[in-house]
Amino acid sequence: MPGRQSRRSVLAAMAALPLAGAVSACGKGASTASGTGGTTRITFWSALRGSQEVVDEFNRTHDRIQVDFQQIPSGNQGGYAKLSNAARAGNAPDVATIEYPQVPGFAIDGVARDITDMVGDTLKAKLLPQALGLTTFQGRTYSVPLDVEPMVMHYRTDLFDQYGLQVPRTWDEFAELAHTVRRKAPKRRLVLFPTDGAMQFAAYSWQAGAQWFDTSEGAWNVSLADAPTRRVAAYWQKLVDDDVVFMNGVESRQSDAQIANGLVLTRLSGAWDAGAQMRAQPGLKGKWRIAPLPQWDEGRPYVGTHGGSTFAVTKDSSHPEAAMEFIEWQVSHPDALRARLSSGASSQYPAVPGLVPVDRKAFDASYYGGQDIYTLFDEEAHKIRDGWVWGPRMTATGKVMQDGFARVSGGQGTLIGSVRAAQDGTMPDLKALGLSTTQRSS
Amino acid sequence: MTATTQHAPPAALPATAPASAHRTRKAARRRRLGACGALMAPFFALLVTVFLIPVGTAVYLSFHSDDHPGLGFGNARTVFVGVRSYTAVLTDPTFLSGLGTVALYCLIYIPLMVLGSLALALLLDSGVVRLRASAQLGLFLPHAVPGIIAALIWLYLYTPGISPVIELFAKADITIDFLGLHTVLPSIVNIALWSNLGYNMVVFYAALQAVPREVIEAAVVDGAGPVRTALQVKTPLVRASIVTVAMFTLVWGLQLFTEPMLLSQSSPMINSRFSPSMYIYDAAFTRNNYSLAAAASVVLLLFTIALSYGVTRWTSRLDRAEEASR
Repeated sequence: MPGRQSRRSVLAAMAALPLAGAVSACGKGASTASGTGGTTRITFWSALRGSQEVVDEFNRTHDRIQVDFQQIPSGNQGGYAKLSNAARAGNAPDVATIEYPQVPGFAIDGVARDITDMVGDTLKAKLLPQALGLTTFQGRTYSVPLDVEPMVMHYRTDLFDQYGLQVPRTWDEFAELAHTVRRKAPKRRLVLFPTDGAMQFAAYSWQAGAQWFDTSEGAWNVSLADAPTRRVAAYWQKLVDDDVVFMNGVESRQSDAQIANGLVLTRLSGAWDAGAQMRAQPGLKGKWRIAPLPQWDEGRPYVGTHGGSTFAVTKDSSHPEAAMEFIEWQVSHPDALRARLSSGASSQYPAVPGLVPVDRKAFDASYYGGQDIYTLFDEEAHKIRDGWVWGPRMTATGKVMQDGFARVSGGQGTLIGSVRAAQDGTMPDLKALGLSTTQRSS
Repeated sequence: MTATTQHAPPAALPATAPASAHRTRKAARRRRLGACGALMAPFFALLVTVFLIPVGTAVYLSFHSDDHPGLGFGNARTVFVGVRSYTAVLTDPTFLSGLGTVALYCLIYIPLMVLGSLALALLLDSGVVRLRASAQLGLFLPHAVPGIIAALIWLYLYTPGISPVIELFAKADITIDFLGLHTVLPSIVNIALWSNLGYNMVVFYAALQAVPREVIEAAVVDGAGPVRTALQVKTPLVRASIVTVAMFTLVWGLQLFTEPMLLSQSSPMINSRFSPSMYIYDAAFTRNNYSLAAAASVVLLLFTIALSYGVTRWTSRLDRAEEASR
């Protein structure tokens, strides 16, 4: 099979690295070591904006390793399917981009390599511990975080002023405010409960102390409807029933219109969304500000994350060391971040908090009236509740949950019912994969 | 049939026939078998390559899977897992609800399809309609449109904001949501009806052409009106076609995939596991669970076979009961 490399031939190639020139003549697969001058060529797939700029900068400043970059569709738009299929066929790239919720799935499927021994102590010390915790299972690390996105509250400062509203600090205040907005401006709503927002709902539950998946006892314990989640579901159910929040898709034209027309006063999403908002709605410059996410208990503040990406070395990679070197440079070197930010406005929060000054310098805060959003992000990132674990089939779990949410918006079922349905629809999957599972449902 | 009767007499000749005649007969039989084999070979070749091998692979896959001990992060090996995937599929509420969805779909779709296309065929056959040929062509034309294109056309007509139909209703102050919680299934039935009504009408029309004219004339002479002739004379005579059409529609309906797959982009009411076929697709390509997908395929195949067998048995029993009552 020309153009393909089996796992065994990759291993053989690794053993015969000095003869790389000869081996590469046999087949061009995931990566090829070209004999000239000992340059190692690795391949990199990503859907992230600015990746081309990062790769160009890397190639300019490095002689020994050269990266071939391929822009792929974002994960759920086909990027993950492409990666899985490539791994099956034995021609996955050396470095792949995986979002946090999908890391366990790709690790179980044998796409992401166990890189525990390759993540050096210097890099480990630089990374936010909560971020690295999300890619580490039973002490084994499967990918390196690029950014980690604490959930924050974006709000329309002009409309808050117009109606004389206070920025809510607790969820109780938030609920009260939702009713006030409904009363003062019947056409507007405080917030949107996204029917396509399983990941947002996960972040709310995470903040409240939920533990949807737990691996501490050597099996996947699944308890999506645990007490904190039930509390969160009941809270939002009340807001939905009282008709004080919108309920529709957030990735929709309807939601874009709600934001553009000032119908929705706050957005609850990851830090990255500040930059996305600037690109999507340039006309609303100066009208938005950012505040911390409301808390359940102000004395013990926590947040969950919404969004963020990681880089994995694939199991098929024949140059894992080179791949790791590229990843480390990409997540921790200021030049890499500058190159990424040169592609347009971004408000990502780096998983290496030491890079925040670079982000702050590059970010044009005028959209947010000069607010120092990075100081806020910095504080919020350190409130990320440690110990959250994403599930082995998170995309599928989220889809089943969202199906339930969509039905709720059509007047059928409840939010907690959707969460339970997601658990029921996940267990057969995990069992068919042969994983050890236990479940707690209440 | 005719071939056997023609050749039967020589075979019945006494064994004392000359040896040369025996050889010729043998050669003739070999030739006949050879021709038979040559003519049947393409069918069997296709049967094996596009049916038996895939089914065999699916059955094999459904009993084997990667072994992921514990949390699953170790190295996986493919092992025999027995009925593990089948247990998983049959206890998956999302798969069972998919089966429920297609069952409901078939309950709405099959009667509408059979009655609709039969009524149209009877109408055309009765000669009431003028411009019969163009009417037939017009009705048949949607069937020539590939399913995916049909779904795209209807997606355009169903999507709020771009659909001229919804806009027209809105002008009359009627809000209509074709992709809502309760309307989405009828919307899918509508697409399928539009695509296949003309085709099945042609099947019925052809069957009606074969009804002996003297039977109909006799009915008319006996004083049956056009409606009575159509319902009580013609319809019972095309029973076989009705059963065939119903069966094919059932088999197609159980494999519902294209229309909901496309509409799911516009409606949150259609999830990625809406029908069993979509469940299989989702299991294989977004959940990377090939043995689960294979097990679900086998379950769907058995379900389809069982239902079609049930329909055949039921109709043949009805036939026998009818004959007995005569």
